[in-house]
Amino acid sequence: MRLGVDETGVTELMGVTEHARALATAAAALLLDSRDSETGLIAPLAPGEADPAVEALLAEIAAWARTAMGTAEPPVLWRILARNPHYLEATWRKDVALMAPGGLAARDKRRVALGVAMAARARYMIEYHAAVLRHAGDTDRDLLEILGVVDHYTTLNTLSEAMQIESDIRPPP
Amino acid sequence: MTTIRMVDPATVSGKVREIFEVVLRRERVVFGATEVSNIWRCMGHSPALVEANWNRSRALMQRGDFTPLQRELIATAVSIANACHY
Repeated sequence: MRLGVDETGVTELMGVTEHARALATAAAALLLDSRDSETGLIAPLAPGEADPAVEALLAEIAAWARTAMGTAEPPVLWRILARNPHYLEATWRKDVALMAPGGLAARDKRRVALGVAMAARARYMIEYHAAVLRHAGDTDRDLLEILGVVDHYTTLNTLSEAMQIESDIRPPP
Repeated sequence: MTTIRMVDPATVSGKVREIFEVVLRRERVVFGATEVSNIWRCMGHSPALVEANWNRSRALMQRGDFTPLQRELIATAVSIANACHY
């Protein structure tokens, strides 16, 4: 808050965090090892296999992937979720809404999402968010800076949990 | 309830005292602290731990190309994801 983020920004940060954590869980649960992985728990929907509404959504995701990642296909995660149209639509719409610029810049949100995926050790989502960031211009040095923060806060979180210390930092009145 | 008694910043000496003074100066600016925060006090029984983590804190949180806000957003998100109350 002291850095000039208001309640909207903080709430957006919470949203991106829980969303990134949920996606990391989903991708790990689907046994997706990497972005090229086609051999997870559930087979991705093949082109032409979906009904028109799902096809339209996958086309929208493919258009996003072209712009945001420079790839032609919708990421495999979304093609797997497409086997349940409600799951796909609700999750993709949430992704679009939460990752859009608002109180926080889109690139900062993506960096947060990468940090969360790193903390969750979720290989597929690390590659996914990193691909978006690299496409936006982030360098090795930038990704390493994100990892540095993740790494250091893993240290501090471990210590504070082990020591069970109470928070002595209060929001400003 | 804390696992161990945290050191009293008034009684520490040597390297820990030196680092606590710098930490407090920074925390005063950053979030208006009046005492060294618990996370640093809980390390105080091991000067090596305080020094190593303070060096990492400076290296990773105070240097780099990102703004302090950008780093703090990631830090907060990781702490939430790790379910860290502190």
